[in-house]
Amino acid sequence: MIDNPYRPFAAEIIELRRETSAEFTMKVKAGADFCPGQFFQVSLPKIGEAPISVSSFGPDFIEFTIRAVGTLTNALHEYRVGDRIFIRGPYGHGFPVDKFRDRDLLIVAGGSGLAPVRPLIQKSLAGELGIRSLKLIIGFKNSEGILFSQQIEEWAKKSDLTLTIDKAEPGWSGKTGLVTEHIKKFPKDNLKNLEAVVVGPTMMMKFSTAELVLLGLKEEQIWVSFERLMSCGIGKCGHCKIDYTYVCVDGPVLNYPHASRLID
Amino acid sequence: MSADLNRKKVTKNAFRITKRRNHTALRVRVPGGHITAEQIAMIADIARRFGDGNMHITTRQGFEIPNIPFEKMAEVNAALNPLIEELQVANGVSFAASNSGYPAAGMRNISACIGNRVCPFANTDTTAFAQKLEGQLFPHDFHVKIAVTGCPNDCIKAHMQDFGIIAICEPQYDYDACIGCEACEKVCKRKVTGALSMKNGKVIRDARRCIGCGECVLACPTGAWTRNPQKFYRLLIMGRTGKRNPRIAMPFLNWVTEEVVIQVIRNTIPYIDRYILRCLPKEHIGYIVDRTGYDVYRREVLENVKLNPEAKIARTMQWPGYDTLNDANMRSADYWKG
Amino acid sequence: MNSYSLTRSNFKDIFDRLSAEYRLFGPKRLAGRGRFSDTDLITCDFLADIDELEFEEKSFMSPKSVVFPADETTFVFNEEEFKEPLMRDQREIIVFLRPCDINGFARLDKIFLENGDRVDPYYQRRRQKIHFFMIECSSSFENCFCVAMQSNHTDNYAVALRFDKESIEIQIRNDHFNRFFESFGTKSAFTPEFVKEDAVKVELPDNDEMPAEIFNHQMWSEYDQRCIACGRCNTSCVTCTCFSTVDIFYPDSRTCGERRRVWDGCHLDGFTEMAGGHSFRKNKGDRMRFKTLHKIYDFRKRFGFDMCVGCGRCDDVCPEYISFSSCINKLGSTLKGEKA
Repeated sequence: MIDNPYRPFAAEIIELRRETSAEFTMKVKAGADFCPGQFFQVSLPKIGEAPISVSSFGPDFIEFTIRAVGTLTNALHEYRVGDRIFIRGPYGHGFPVDKFRDRDLLIVAGGSGLAPVRPLIQKSLAGELGIRSLKLIIGFKNSEGILFSQQIEEWAKKSDLTLTIDKAEPGWSGKTGLVTEHIKKFPKDNLKNLEAVVVGPTMMMKFSTAELVLLGLKEEQIWVSFERLMSCGIGKCGHCKIDYTYVCVDGPVLNYPHASRLID
Repeated sequence: MSADLNRKKVTKNAFRITKRRNHTALRVRVPGGHITAEQIAMIADIARRFGDGNMHITTRQGFEIPNIPFEKMAEVNAALNPLIEELQVANGVSFAASNSGYPAAGMRNISACIGNRVCPFANTDTTAFAQKLEGQLFPHDFHVKIAVTGCPNDCIKAHMQDFGIIAICEPQYDYDACIGCEACEKVCKRKVTGALSMKNGKVIRDARRCIGCGECVLACPTGAWTRNPQKFYRLLIMGRTGKRNPRIAMPFLNWVTEEVVIQVIRNTIPYIDRYILRCLPKEHIGYIVDRTGYDVYRREVLENVKLNPEAKIARTMQWPGYDTLNDANMRSADYWKG
Repeated sequence: MNSYSLTRSNFKDIFDRLSAEYRLFGPKRLAGRGRFSDTDLITCDFLADIDELEFEEKSFMSPKSVVFPADETTFVFNEEEFKEPLMRDQREIIVFLRPCDINGFARLDKIFLENGDRVDPYYQRRRQKIHFFMIECSSSFENCFCVAMQSNHTDNYAVALRFDKESIEIQIRNDHFNRFFESFGTKSAFTPEFVKEDAVKVELPDNDEMPAEIFNHQMWSEYDQRCIACGRCNTSCVTCTCFSTVDIFYPDSRTCGERRRVWDGCHLDGFTEMAGGHSFRKNKGDRMRFKTLHKIYDFRKRFGFDMCVGCGRCDDVCPEYISFSSCINKLGSTLKGEKA
């Protein structure tokens, strides 16, 4: 078969970084030019395949930030620099970067939801997307769970960044409270020129988007990214279908008016 | 004046001595416990005309009609004739119904669970098998109890018989049709013996753990597990209740065909004839096997039996039971006050 | 278009001649292999002999397995590469099936050939070999509701067949097959009939948008208790296309194995389970709602026609006596505001 969309290709691991006790970032050598928010099907022969979002990419590399919670992700955890994994993609619709041009962008990320928006943040800050201003609200359950902490420090220098953990804890001098509480504090002026991106756990997305609507944002100005079980990534296997929407091909990034009407 | 009876002859004719002087009770055979509404009306009619209108349903699925005066035996036997025609002669027994009632009462009614005419779990038509056995074995005078059950649930209590026949199913696996849903593996683990395990998304059947219940076939949503259309049986032997040594029957043959089961039971008759203690009024078959030993029994009943290739034979035989004599374990109430 | 009247022995000869060039697939009776003892299993499989073709009764399984096998190897791998397995038998395939199932293939085509703008190559390489030999349904079976689903009729067949007591009537739409028939039988004016009415009446909701209340409606909760998640409604369905990918390893190899895709189904446990254990539809009622709306609502929203073809197999096979056609009617009543 010449054109087999299921065929994965080998990608060599060129760097591994531990992020938290459960999460690590795997950088593989692969030529890539795609849209922030897209995902790859990552597989290990004999273990299996799963969709994993891209947490960074450049002309010759892709990064995956992986939480070791399942069979595949646990197995990936054992891999070392120089080993090869198999990937195929990119799949799905990423963030609508063309729509973000000349707009103010607010990104609300919760927990491991920061991984899929990281390329969007990086490209925004690098000036590649023509975004007018970038504001970030990033929340984690606790300080131990903070991903990309060094980068967050750098981003804070270049953007209006709020880093918060759910509850106060000893040794933490930063902000506390759920991301929704920080959305409430967001200035209400000039919302017309704003686009908001919300990515994180299901409940966090539900309440954050509701808060943004309360703030005065139109539903059309909000974008979310879904995570579902997938076997194919190309609209065949049926696992990620919600109503008439296939998250793999119509998403994973969806405009909120569309996403809010999807009931699993 | 009391009736002048040949008690042994009467008993053999399926009439029994009862508490009530000059009155008997008739045991009506119902092979497989299966009977039509018309047949049951015929039995009811005998009870009405010759008894007192009462009928008792026996543990072996026959009927007992009490309170028949001994003097009515000939009339009762005549009335019984059409029933014997339908339930015995039609099933192939080797005697002609001749208005003289049942020719023997040693071999008890062959009972059976409802079987696959109704029950989804049943691996065979137990009714038909019981009727066929009736044709093959009745009449004879040795005291032998037989029951056929459709699956290892053993609703008919085959484990309490001299011959307990359990219909089993050999599940056959279509590897390509299996979707690895694990329904069979779960049901086998939860309800049966855990003979199935998953490997590489497929099912592995441990034939030595499989008891042939057919639950995997029932559970499979794709028809990956199907029944081997060839039917198999497990034959349990020499279970009993009774005053001396109650015990459950144990597996003698496994994965044998209907023909083997029938032949082995048929071969048991001459074995009994050879070894029975005639000094006793009647000796149960189980006690005969106790005396000759399992090895002798096995050798003699399997002689000239053409075993199917799947057949398995028990190497040794030990029956779990207890000796009723042994009351050393029993204590009076004051013991427990201590 | 030519029609012929054949005798049984004519048809046997034709079957044998077809077998020499094509692989033949259709409803097949496996005696004594039914779920219950002394019952038969009517499945769909490759046929070696005319006697294997079951043309009277409805099959338990659908013919979808001819293009979408229950378990298909997509790759053979070692640590270096993934290779597609070859399709060993390259012959074209004649499928004996009924009108509803032919319409079912149009649903499979939508998912495997069009959805997501990608062609599924494994499906395609089988699909392009298929010729439909339609078995006429003059009357419907117990649970059929094909008329309601407008799948009782089709012109998409190479040959149509009517099995009468003595004769077999055929009509050839694909002239390519003329050569097999013209030397046998006598010319006739046979045209197949189609079912005009089913005993099962189904009223389809025609909502373009399903009200949000329907998704959370209590009508689904009865299935929480009734459904046992056995998946028979999915596996027997001619239009269920869902699958999962599994990797298997060769036990004696350190490096080699296969990637396979295996039928999955929205009623089966684990269908929506994410790594870490979260499931989106734990309740059976939610699964019933998901399936029902997919079959008669959201597929239409995406592709313009309903997915369900009304073959009624889900009702035939459900061990818990859940009727899908009744469920559709209950949904209709609920939508109309009637008490279901």
